[in-house]
Amino acid sequence: MENKTEYKPFEVDQHLTAHGNYWAGKAGSRFFTSLRDRKKLLGSPCKACNKVFWPPRSVCTFCFGELKDMVEIGPLGTVETFTLVTYAEPIQPRTAPFIYAVIRLDGADTGMAHFLDEVEFGNVHIGMRVQPVFAKDRKGNILDIQYFKPL
Amino acid sequence: MATKDKEWISIPMTVDVPYRFAAGGYLTKCLTELRDNGKIFAVECPKCKRVQLPPRVVCAECHVKNEKWVELPHEGTLMNFTIMYLPLTDPTTGKPHEPPFVYGSVRLDGATSVLDHMVEVEPDMDKVWVGMRCRLVLRPKEERIGDLSDIRYIEPLPGQKKPQPKSR
Amino acid sequence: MKRNVAIIGGGQTCHAARRHDVDQAEMVNEAVRAALKDARMTMDEIDLVILGNMEFFEGVHLTDCWLVHGTGAYGKQGVKITTGGTVGATAVCAGAHHVASGLFDKVLCIGFEKQEEGDTGAILSGVANPLWGRSMAGAAVGYFAMMGSSYIANWGATEEHSAMVAVKARQNARKNKYAHLKLDITIEDALNSRMLAWPIRMLDMCPASNGACAMILADEKTAKARCKKPVWIRAMETAHNEQFELDWRDVKTERLIFSRAAAGRLYRKLGVDDPAKYFDVFEIYEPATWAELIWYEDLGLCGPGEGFRLIEQGKTNIDGPIPVNPSGGVLSTNCIGASAMLRVWEAALQIRGDAGEHQVPRDVRRAMTTAYGGTNWTVMTALSKTLED
Repeated sequence: MENKTEYKPFEVDQHLTAHGNYWAGKAGSRFFTSLRDRKKLLGSPCKACNKVFWPPRSVCTFCFGELKDMVEIGPLGTVETFTLVTYAEPIQPRTAPFIYAVIRLDGADTGMAHFLDEVEFGNVHIGMRVQPVFAKDRKGNILDIQYFKPL
Repeated sequence: MATKDKEWISIPMTVDVPYRFAAGGYLTKCLTELRDNGKIFAVECPKCKRVQLPPRVVCAECHVKNEKWVELPHEGTLMNFTIMYLPLTDPTTGKPHEPPFVYGSVRLDGATSVLDHMVEVEPDMDKVWVGMRCRLVLRPKEERIGDLSDIRYIEPLPGQKKPQPKSR
Repeated sequence: MKRNVAIIGGGQTCHAARRHDVDQAEMVNEAVRAALKDARMTMDEIDLVILGNMEFFEGVHLTDCWLVHGTGAYGKQGVKITTGGTVGATAVCAGAHHVASGLFDKVLCIGFEKQEEGDTGAILSGVANPLWGRSMAGAAVGYFAMMGSSYIANWGATEEHSAMVAVKARQNARKNKYAHLKLDITIEDALNSRMLAWPIRMLDMCPASNGACAMILADEKTAKARCKKPVWIRAMETAHNEQFELDWRDVKTERLIFSRAAAGRLYRKLGVDDPAKYFDVFEIYEPATWAELIWYEDLGLCGPGEGFRLIEQGKTNIDGPIPVNPSGGVLSTNCIGASAMLRVWEAALQIRGDAGEHQVPRDVRRAMTTAYGGTNWTVMTALSKTLED
């Protein structure tokens, strides 16, 4: 460069804000309306694979078969794995520290992550039996279950 | 498509992501000079002689390093424009530009590249045309941050009239 | 090509403004099941799944993982492609490369977009360079408006020519049961529609659609054994434009920009002298009417500044000598991740004679498709009925 001037490194802070709206679809709508209106949890059974999926879906992940039925699962479940989140990120729905666990509901073959509360982290173990605590004001999304707690 | 007993559920979600971008050597010089001195710096390729704005390290066509810096004047020619009737939001401030407004590309004298910006002119087809001579109007120094928005707008040079179209 | 590649099946959803009845996986699954049915194949037979989708448009990353049950990719090899508006065609090219290489025999390529679920405007602003351009980003309409403005200023076309393109697209779409916008409009309707950015009016622009398209590609042996009407991919070409350089909107730019570079290379590969005579149908990616007129010229269908004469003379109508976008094009259906793949699939349907009401009334032996991506590059393919065409 001809110019011998030293320039301080230049950095720019910006934000990107995007508003989305996800449609839950056939299986999802049935699941969330059942959760919201009747506090009943539904899973998707695949007869060919003899498996029940939670979260529910319209196609079997393993055999690609179409899944049109749903069965009631839970409400009790088992902790498959868990962790304590101690760092804070803006995206988190809860203030750290909080406990995440993968919970497999009774009757389902797959699990889903959700929160554990009303329990000390030291007392959580794999295999722990849990029950859902439903939100009073349910809107038709997964936080209609506020968290799971031990039996 | 919902039937009476079927309700389709939707879940809204907003994702807000912060970023911090580093300008790199060449763009740092360009944006710093714009902010501090109100100067527009481009680079010239040693091989094809294209004068590139914003400046970049490598000429994409020749694959050689651009070493020569060229200060560009603030005057140029309007190469293209449109009259916007949609309220475009400035993504960096979140505020919309009120329509209708004119938006166009200017080729500063000596540059090969063009630069997009708002054109401060009545949204009237007789007042703005391809080929119009114009100049950049910068914000006052204390308002400049080192961004394209340090240029307030492009404005026509005074005393011009739209040339009459040739008959076809 | 190291090995010949054929399209042996495909399918698409009925594209619409709203698909509240399906989530993304269910929507993609509709297209995948349609493609498997068309090819008379099962998911087990597929070796590789390629998913194309505009990154983060719906606010979801890694859609290739998240939609595994819908795409059928569980346990299979696969890759996600994300290249902007070209993504559907890039997915086809990637699929074709995998087959041509000899490593895979049956590849499923999928393109989709559930436009209504995301914030296209906000995410598209991410395409502009954050330090030089984002604050002054003009949005897609603005860029095409500048193309139109340059075209009118330099070649003397009028807004009526744009309206002719709009009418052609919308009337063709009425014959395509899968198209999103099927509008019975006249030139006057187009000229009276709301002005968005001069000279682009509402009816001159593409919609935002929800939809998916899937195609199955196979090697020659499989194609000849399994498919009655394989469509052969003879050449593919793409070209990147230079970042920061906005002169592609200026019709007088002499630099070899993306569309001309890619078309030139494709024609040289195939030995094409006169593309208007060589190809029987064109499916081009035109987000706006003015882009179509300019790309007639970039594709060499006519000389510079003559694009508007082609539409004026009806040459690119569905029953004209150079049919362009008999499907209704992107102007009628724009589910961004699928749009470019729809061009290839619609061209394949024309070659097969399966386009139904929007079939061009001639023997279609060769077709050409283009794609267009936000940061200005393109993917072009050339298809043929037999390997001898």
